[in-house]
Amino acid sequence: MLDRQNYLKVKLFLKYSRVVHGRSSLQISNDFEHLKSLLLWAGSQPFGSVPTINTSLFDFLIQKAVKGLDQAELQSILNTNQRFLLWVKAMFPVEFQNIRLSWIMKISAISEGKEVII
Amino acid sequence: MSENQNSSNCRISRNVLIKAPGLLPMLYTPREIAEDLDVPETTLRDWLNHGAPHSRDESNHIWIDGKQFAAWVDSQRNARKKPTHPLQAGEGFCMRCNAIVKIKDGEIRSVKGHLSHLKGKCPICGGIVNRGIWNAGSSELPQG
Repeated sequence: MLDRQNYLKVKLFLKYSRVVHGRSSLQISNDFEHLKSLLLWAGSQPFGSVPTINTSLFDFLIQKAVKGLDQAELQSILNTNQRFLLWVKAMFPVEFQNIRLSWIMKISAISEGKEVII
Repeated sequence: MSENQNSSNCRISRNVLIKAPGLLPMLYTPREIAEDLDVPETTLRDWLNHGAPHSRDESNHIWIDGKQFAAWVDSQRNARKKPTHPLQAGEGFCMRCNAIVKIKDGEIRSVKGHLSHLKGKCPICGGIVNRGIWNAGSSELPQG
């Protein structure tokens, strides 16, 4: 079972994106699909402790990826997840004090040596 | 505690059929699941009354497991499918009898490429029965 608080934070982020940034419903829908991978990766762990997960988000996406996911799509998913984590750190600074900014910034960087053809 | 009342087939929209497999393995409230599937909450509560899987906690709040609900939606789709009877070799559909019959005195004529045409008579009413056949072989002709 996934952590419900994680899901509620994702929903809050999507609402914030719609109201504050004026993102369209299609963009919100895409963002939610991208953030589902983060929810599945975190599993029952709260987002505040995700840096302790052994498997990186990138590796998780590679393992779980469905056929047809190209590098651009993968990068887009990582970017959305990075945007969400930056937002959540800014909005809940105490709860997410364990997540370091440098760790978040590393999320969307696809390593040069990694094979990303799926 | 799990509840299942009055299990019967519900009409599920195509939009829900597409979105339901994307539900996460977690407990949703009826409002959350209605938002995610883009259906009115009243519709969702109607489905719960018709046997959609859900549970209640000690405060009598309803919780829905996303994966169980997705499986239920899939089962509703399959329940609505009509049973099919693929035509066997030598069989055809008689338009007069409105039934599948064994074609009598069948003749196969090549149309184009792999496509052939089987023409014969209905053993019940004697009317003409036609059938298109892909990769026709001698087994398509009715025996006897």
